[in-house]
Amino acid sequence: MPAQSPAGRVALWRGRSGRVSAFADRCPHRGMRLSHGFVRGETLSCIYHGWGYAQAGNCVRIPAHPALTPPETVRVATQHVEDGGGIIWISAGEPTGGPPRFEGLAPVRSMTVEAGIVALEEATGTSIAGGLLDYTNADTSVRLLLAPESPARTLMHVLIDEDSNPDERITASRAAEALRRAAEHIERGGTGR
Amino acid sequence: MTRNAMMDEWYPVGLVSQLDAHGRSTALMGEPIEVKRGDDGTATVARSDGRHLPVCIRYGHVWSSLGDPQKPLFAIPEADQPGRRLVDVGVVRVRCSPLRAVENFLDIAHFPFVHTDILGSEPHTEVQNYKVEIREDEDEVWATQVRFYQPQAAKSAEGGITTEYMYRVPAPTCSILYKTCPPRPGEWDVITLFVQPLAEDLCDVWPWMALFDDETPMTDLIHFQQTIFVQDRSILENQIPGLLPLDPGMEIPTRADLTSVAYRRWLKRHGYTYGAQLVAQ
Repeated sequence: MPAQSPAGRVALWRGRSGRVSAFADRCPHRGMRLSHGFVRGETLSCIYHGWGYAQAGNCVRIPAHPALTPPETVRVATQHVEDGGGIIWISAGEPTGGPPRFEGLAPVRSMTVEAGIVALEEATGTSIAGGLLDYTNADTSVRLLLAPESPARTLMHVLIDEDSNPDERITASRAAEALRRAAEHIERGGTGR
Repeated sequence: MTRNAMMDEWYPVGLVSQLDAHGRSTALMGEPIEVKRGDDGTATVARSDGRHLPVCIRYGHVWSSLGDPQKPLFAIPEADQPGRRLVDVGVVRVRCSPLRAVENFLDIAHFPFVHTDILGSEPHTEVQNYKVEIREDEDEVWATQVRFYQPQAAKSAEGGITTEYMYRVPAPTCSILYKTCPPRPGEWDVITLFVQPLAEDLCDVWPWMALFDDETPMTDLIHFQQTIFVQDRSILENQIPGLLPLDPGMEIPTRADLTSVAYRRWLKRHGYTYGAQLVAQ
């Protein structure tokens, strides 16, 4: 799937073993987006000509020339990925430590909001603290992990208490949708709540 | 700034069969144009300021140019051969460089992945060696002895066959494909790709065919080609950069890409750079 990082667009994929990798979203052969590709085993293949790349980013297969061992120079840039507490983290450079942990919280869903962080803060009436934004709607409280994709677009990961039951998760999901609508209204020039 | 060499080329701007007095508003290299049937029944192409542009009627299409074409439109002798069915496939709008659209047409290695179970299928992915040349007399790019295994090479093909191809690039945004003709061994089916450059990153693709096939309904022939080109569109609208890189370094070709390498070299040599990127980023 496509994802955004400070280093540009990435193709995020999970091999059969469960390991997650992040590649620059461009096949070096003909420039096709690798996020359109397909995964077989531990290889991501480009949808255009089927060139296959291992998790380290090196090309392992060029179907037009099955007998050819691809040169080491054919490779895609990779980014460091960690799977922590149900959240996938990408590091643009060399990470100095592991990703943040949010004890006691579990992820519900992620959604794209066509609004910046300022509009989201205005919609919640609170500010980011400890890396998370709190939002309460009626009796439901969710905590939001925000990844800016552009000044007016944010990828919002919705977290709730890990002991929540399925009904509470559905309610939290709907609360997050309400927040998205409110933030997008503010971003378009509307007033806060 | 030097004059763009592509200005003086002929480009398709509409189907003759759809020409009417009402006209079709379209564009050529960023210039709005109007294509219609004039009072005397002939096709006219005019810019928005009313100035008339050169017109040529050939291969089912109306052709025009923003500049002053120095030579007639390229010849396709097979178009006049008796017994062929001439197929106006229609138009596919693609958000890509017109040059990228042609390059994709010249490529066979993508068949198993983009046109799966139609023009190619795994594990038959190998591209055998073929010949590529820039023919100096005709000033055209040619690829010959191209062979590829195809599950369903044409609407008239039953089951898989190894198909032989020849490719020809007679103009910067036009290519002609000659392909094994299942019902008529010894003859070639002709499939063309005529690309109208609307902008550097936007084009209308007008495929056209001259086939030996008296059996298949016209609708099926058109659907078959449109299916193929719509599959290609999903690729063409997702290549980075959008413009075709003419300098080496940005992309990595292999032996299977020799036609593309020759096409890029030929474009660069002539200064055919509308839709191209010259400096690697």
